[in-house]
Amino acid sequence: MHAILEQFLDKWVWPTMPGAPGAEFRLRLTREKCIKGWEISLQRTLGEIDEELASNDEDWKKDRALRGYAAEGVHMSIKQMSGQLLSVDIADQERYIDLQRMRARQIWDECKHSKLHADVLLGKGWIKDERELMDIAPANTQPLPAYFGLSMMFPHIHPLARAAQNYYQEANACLGIMAYLDRVEDPFVRHEHLSQRDEELMHFMEGKFQIDFLCGTQEAQRPVEEALDYLLHQVGGIR
Amino acid sequence: MPGLKIDHERCTECRMCYIVCREIDINAVYVALEPLHRIEIDLQKCTYPGCTACLMYCPAEGSIIEIEGGRSMVPPPPEAWQEA
Repeated sequence: MHAILEQFLDKWVWPTMPGAPGAEFRLRLTREKCIKGWEISLQRTLGEIDEELASNDEDWKKDRALRGYAAEGVHMSIKQMSGQLLSVDIADQERYIDLQRMRARQIWDECKHSKLHADVLLGKGWIKDERELMDIAPANTQPLPAYFGLSMMFPHIHPLARAAQNYYQEANACLGIMAYLDRVEDPFVRHEHLSQRDEELMHFMEGKFQIDFLCGTQEAQRPVEEALDYLLHQVGGIR
Repeated sequence: MPGLKIDHERCTECRMCYIVCREIDINAVYVALEPLHRIEIDLQKCTYPGCTACLMYCPAEGSIIEIEGGRSMVPPPPEAWQEA
């Protein structure tokens, strides 16, 4: 296991509240599925960083920032997470009020993240102002079809399905940030990642909390495991 | 008795500790009304070290500390979560 992943597991994954009703389920998912995906994702990221650094130019920094602007921007945040806010029926809102609060907070965080990618583009002089990004296709598109839409939200709409994305996918984000901070010295790139670090970790903790506290029954666990399988196999291409 | 407090130099005010503490109905973590609406811990209600739940979900390293000695409890040390 790579040292970065081992450090992440020891600091943030294994510490578990004794007696949390869904903790055993989360730890099983972690051991059986997540670690494999995290390891593959981290190795991919490290390989990409090595290629980028070996290229001896700055094009990759521009590409990364444009893709980040698209992936974490207002389009993604509002469409995806507000769709998930709507997945909570009115009758269930009292039960899931904290879950909704976390979603709302994440919309705000992700919109800020898009600005951090714009900071790189502005700082490097590749754009004069953020408005220019409206005319640059890579800053507004994603390779994953309909990723921002309800159609690709998850296999089914369930208030807890998002927990799988928060737990699994946001851990990938955390590991990616750790990898970039480990390998890259450019202050703009470091800013792009460092300034998101605590928020991505918070989003991971949202997933950890939702699974530990709200997934104590098979009924609640099923949508989380299905969403995780979807993220691993359909989105991540991991078999 | 040992107690916990927030290190406001490190806390990001994400409120995960507030959510967790409310979920288990201890309600020791609260948002102070004045002056900055920051997260605080009510030592009259907090049951630490009996309960360590907030420590498991805090994403800001070093932001919850022991009052006596100032030891960082985030990420939580093994004795805070490994059952004997």
